[in-house]
Amino acid sequence: MRILSIALNTFRENLREKLLYNLLFFALLMIGSSILLSRITLGDYHRLILDLGLASINLFGVLIAIFVGIGLVSKEVDRKTIYTIVSKPIPRYEFLLGKYCGLVITLLANTVVMVAGLLIVLQVMDVPITSLVFKSLALIFLELMVITAVAVLFSTFTSATLSAIFTLAVYVIGHLSGDLKEFAKKLDEVSQMVVNAIYYTLPNLERFNLKGHVIHHLDFGMTDMALSLTYGLTYSAFLLLLASVIFQRRDFQ
Amino acid sequence: MEHSNIILKTAGLRKTFKVGFWGREVTALEGLDLEVKQGEVFGFLGPNGAGKTTTIKMLMGLIYPTSGQAWLFGRPIGDQESKARLGFLPESPYFYDYLTGLEFLQFYGHLFGLRGVTLEKRIDELLELVGMSHARHLQLRKFSKGMLQRVGIAQALINDPELVVLDEPMSGLDPVGRKEIRDLILCLKESGKTIFFSSHILHDAELLCDRVAIILKGRQVACGRVSELIDEGVAHSVEVVIDGLSPEGLARLRQLADRVIVQGPQVLAVLPSRQQVGPVLEIIRGAGATLVSLTPHKGSLEDLFIREVKNKQPELREAV
Amino acid sequence: MYRVMRFEVLHAKRQHLLFFLALVLLLSASLFTQYLLEQRSQGRAAKLEQLRLLPKGEILRPALLGYQQLGADLLWLRVVQVLGDRVVRDKDYEWLYHALDVITTVDPKYVYAYEAGGVVLAELASRVDLSNRLLEKGLAPNPSSWQIPFRLGFNHFFHLGDHTRAAEYMAQAARIPGPFPIGPPHYTARLASRLYVQGKNPEVALEFLEAMLEQTTDELVREKLQRRIRRISLERDLQMLEQQIRQYADSRGRRPASLMELVLAGLLPGIPSEPYGGDYLYDSKTGKVMSSTHDERMGVYVPADSLATRGDVE
Repeated sequence: MRILSIALNTFRENLREKLLYNLLFFALLMIGSSILLSRITLGDYHRLILDLGLASINLFGVLIAIFVGIGLVSKEVDRKTIYTIVSKPIPRYEFLLGKYCGLVITLLANTVVMVAGLLIVLQVMDVPITSLVFKSLALIFLELMVITAVAVLFSTFTSATLSAIFTLAVYVIGHLSGDLKEFAKKLDEVSQMVVNAIYYTLPNLERFNLKGHVIHHLDFGMTDMALSLTYGLTYSAFLLLLASVIFQRRDFQ
Repeated sequence: MEHSNIILKTAGLRKTFKVGFWGREVTALEGLDLEVKQGEVFGFLGPNGAGKTTTIKMLMGLIYPTSGQAWLFGRPIGDQESKARLGFLPESPYFYDYLTGLEFLQFYGHLFGLRGVTLEKRIDELLELVGMSHARHLQLRKFSKGMLQRVGIAQALINDPELVVLDEPMSGLDPVGRKEIRDLILCLKESGKTIFFSSHILHDAELLCDRVAIILKGRQVACGRVSELIDEGVAHSVEVVIDGLSPEGLARLRQLADRVIVQGPQVLAVLPSRQQVGPVLEIIRGAGATLVSLTPHKGSLEDLFIREVKNKQPELREAV
Repeated sequence: MYRVMRFEVLHAKRQHLLFFLALVLLLSASLFTQYLLEQRSQGRAAKLEQLRLLPKGEILRPALLGYQQLGADLLWLRVVQVLGDRVVRDKDYEWLYHALDVITTVDPKYVYAYEAGGVVLAELASRVDLSNRLLEKGLAPNPSSWQIPFRLGFNHFFHLGDHTRAAEYMAQAARIPGPFPIGPPHYTARLASRLYVQGKNPEVALEFLEAMLEQTTDELVREKLQRRIRRISLERDLQMLEQQIRQYADSRGRRPASLMELVLAGLLPGIPSEPYGGDYLYDSKTGKVMSSTHDERMGVYVPADSLATRGDVE
């Protein structure tokens, strides 16, 4: 219940943030612009609309997750608003979880708006809407949840700027780590160990990327879906628990 | 707890911080021993940077003591149950400025599980108490400093706490604002709450507190009832202003007084203690002069404070 | 009070342990699902899939926001991983070509990608058409690179048997100024001119191939070149023997009964050894010489203009 109160307060805080609307506006603009682009392209315009739509939802979701996520905790500490919360009978992890859920609610609302925009465009342009599109969207949302957890984790112990840099780095490496592991097979053992350590501790965000499947109509079974969901959720839970442990030990100065 | 009426207790509470890149250790608080009893107004005094806020943060569970212990309601600090009986106003509070006064209090009410009509009633009462009923639909970003302080106190009281901890509640306020906060504290005391507040403004503490503790540079230098601390070893001087005193009378006055200042027809004399008042009045009568005023000088916390700095901690003089 | 404190400490310790266990549990659970996912998506197939799913270079290029070179490098690394596997099915080369096309669209000046891609497509995949398409694409954006026209010349000469086009490309490569690694090797110009004049001469071909061999470090390509050199040496010997037989017939009015007669007549210092360890078989009725290891002749080098090269049989 207390977690929900903090989550809703965070959601309200996010809603009054201008950054959110700017990002949302650009996302919708990009999704909409695919209509124009599809007029000038040759051949398969279905693909272009889906490509651009999914990419926009993903990219702007990630931007919101990172740039709102890093301020989530550090802003409360910097502005000392956390003093009044922690002195209330609320365990710190509940506060952290509440903040996280708040941003997830914000992201959900945003994604719903963007998806609505995409569905309208798809409907107008007569692009068939397959179940794969929704699977892909679900995994995009899962990726956002993981990235938010990463941002929250970093913001429990560093400044907002540093957490932004770290989270962006995790995002990029998270998409490349599969390749890194492949490349490492050609390296010596020490480098292999380092790369494998990175591969197994950082999130493998490629697991949530179904954009290729959607464009090329590749099948993605329910077992894969369930495994990917389990992976995303357990990994987020791991990050949040780690964040809670760090947050619990922290002095607010 | 041995004495159930002791609400707040610290024993050897100590905090060091690591500063800078190399983690140099700085002691913010050195072995604090306090006891706050139920129903009293306790002033926690000291200049800026003495360690008051550090102490309060430790009591509120915001930072962890390096060593030593503290208890609230007989339970170790950080305990969730004791936090439920506590209200806290941080120093120069920043709140969620995107909220209105009402939303702000609703949020904190929800954190205590208060809902619906009970919460509405409680908020109405509190806004009335702190005189902020007019601002319930105004965003906090539009509040003045004094308004923020008052809505902050309302927030601290939302759970009807037994102990209210206020960190520098009167700093940065104008005289009217300070008077209002003082009245509010007295009003809370009347309703049976225990109040622990920190301040660097001694005058406020003198007017409000039953007992005070004074810390300087992280060290506790005095603790006790205000009247006891003030009376301790202080001779009360008396200031007399006399009109039309003859030169002969002036000569006799000079023998009794510490200091005599002649300003035209008026003479101002500072007498070392009350014993000299009788003889001086006789001089006035004998010389046919007029007594304009007679002011007994009470000792103040400020005197005590300066004395403490001078006597006990010569090395700390620059702190004041 | 002390009892209370001790309880608190115990409680805190147990909580720490619980947190730690939960952390380990969650991490291992996520790693396990990650592992399961990995097992399901068969590493290699996924790699090729990724190459296949690469967006068109024209779309990718603006999306790289100025990091085209880095993007091309990363893609190249991926391609190299697939190539490293060595067991690549024929249809996979379509995707390989697609990936190379994307790389060179993203970074059109990536000369090494053209060059190595051209070699791989022609030598490993036997897709000279794709190899030439890739190399030709690289000509315009890289006017100062000799490697691309040199490679094209080789493809036309070696795989297509088109000596005129090969000579043109060699000449183009020869025109690039500069000492060797920057400019072409010193023999390029001579090769070009000889290809123009006597393209079908196995001697020229051997010279060309020896030059290529000298320049190539890749073992696979070297092996291929050496094989071809052996095959052409065989052809050269056959042609030489047949020519001596014709000369013998012209002067004596009859064909020699055996090859030894040529040696005895002083036309040959000795019968050359067959490069594959076989024997040269002579048919005195037709005047044709055959190898015991190869029963087919290399059409290109037979004076009668004919077919494209057939692969060598071993």
